[in-house]
Amino acid sequence: MPEHADPFSHARAEHGWLNVDCDGENVPLILRLKDVRKTCKDTSTFSSDLPPLIVLHSEAHVRDVRQLPIECDPPDHTDYRALVQPLFDRAKNDPDYMESIRSLVDEMVRTAIGKGELDAVRGFALPMQSRALTRLLRMPESEADVWIGWGVHVFHDRDDGGGEGFLLQSYTGGQFRRAEENPGDDFFSYLNQVEFRGRKLTFEEKQGFANVTFAGGRDTVINTVGSIFAYLGDHPEALDFLREDEARILTACEEFVRYVSPLTAIARKCPHATRLLDEQDVPAGGRVALCWPSANRDESVFDQPHDVKLDRSPNPHIGFGFGPHNCLGAPHARLIIRSLLRSLCDRVERVELIKAVPKVEKESSFTRQVGYESVLVRMIPRAAGD
Amino acid sequence: MPKVTYITPEGERVVVEQAEGTLMSAAVENQVSGIDGDCGGVCSCATCHVHVDEAWTDKVGPAGEGEKGLLELEDGVEENSRLGCQVKLTPELDGLVVRVVGR
Repeated sequence: MPEHADPFSHARAEHGWLNVDCDGENVPLILRLKDVRKTCKDTSTFSSDLPPLIVLHSEAHVRDVRQLPIECDPPDHTDYRALVQPLFDRAKNDPDYMESIRSLVDEMVRTAIGKGELDAVRGFALPMQSRALTRLLRMPESEADVWIGWGVHVFHDRDDGGGEGFLLQSYTGGQFRRAEENPGDDFFSYLNQVEFRGRKLTFEEKQGFANVTFAGGRDTVINTVGSIFAYLGDHPEALDFLREDEARILTACEEFVRYVSPLTAIARKCPHATRLLDEQDVPAGGRVALCWPSANRDESVFDQPHDVKLDRSPNPHIGFGFGPHNCLGAPHARLIIRSLLRSLCDRVERVELIKAVPKVEKESSFTRQVGYESVLVRMIPRAAGD
Repeated sequence: MPKVTYITPEGERVVVEQAEGTLMSAAVENQVSGIDGDCGGVCSCATCHVHVDEAWTDKVGPAGEGEKGLLELEDGVEENSRLGCQVKLTPELDGLVVRVVGR
């Protein structure tokens, strides 16, 4: 994975922030780990009440609902999040569910070995994430085919960078109506039935929960998994290193999330004029952004931050965010990545990298790699008895 | 291997005989309420925050630099706060008592 360069090191050392032009609005990215953490915790100065601007560029062309719980502040955020947290936390506290994901991932690795050459992004990570998501949301596994058809990200997976308009809202709206007519134990039925502060959720609120579930957790996992395959192809010794100590599955998972940092930035709005880092004035209503990949390469925190150390510990990265809005799907992402690494250790001798095409994000003041468009690999199976 | 007593946020005393690994991993193994250990023990998630009983703070020792960076922004931080994943369980800690902070 040599391509994952850090474009923020100079600005991080010099100022601790970097301005980026977001459709005419100047948004300073906060670059140092400690500053990002502090900003995450200060929800009154740096608010998340900013739909549809939680990412750098407005999503008004692909959604008109407030994503929940991410696009609001405590105490509303706390109460909204509590409605869905148990569902997502099954990935860390429900042994049957955890085993179900491990089996799914293992089955997909076994199938992939037999295929010879395959694209680890669209031929493996995309279907794996989609099928795992059906289990998390208690949906029929056939529904994964619909989600796979959306590509790596439902909002922007076309060659021109665009998406399919309100496709996602249309789909989830249909699912809520389906669940009204035929309720089950799935995610949509649950949101139809659950009470929030003594009342049912409105249709817009339900759509907000569904929207972030599909928009937030797919490309991030897929880009990380694609990067893992590229790394293993570049480092034939890595699987043997992981096999030497079971604990390295855990440390390697965290290190890949730190190193890839699959989400570049999340924005916050300043309700009042604010002086950022004693240097940069942000007007009332202006935005700042938390730059996870920069924080995760902070030289003052991480020893040799630009190297992948599969046994890095401690590793105080914030690849899953930090503070009250930390990633709701983190347990699920960790379960998938740990399961994948374990299956690869059990079944694969080495990964042969044939060709990798990096995925690149371009902004006004930086360009950074976020995983791969494609990673063509061949998995060489371990001999029986290894 | 030491015996460790965890006092959960609900006030329950959970005694783990022959605790192994770290304060975090032994708690997760024994399903101690309030300790999740989401990141697997690399000092990233702060879901294993405990207060070390005053009688044990010297033996357990202070938080390291990376650990302090997380703790300083956590709720409920005290002088005796530690992240359980950074406390290795050694025979010298036999009898240790900690209070789980939880969330």
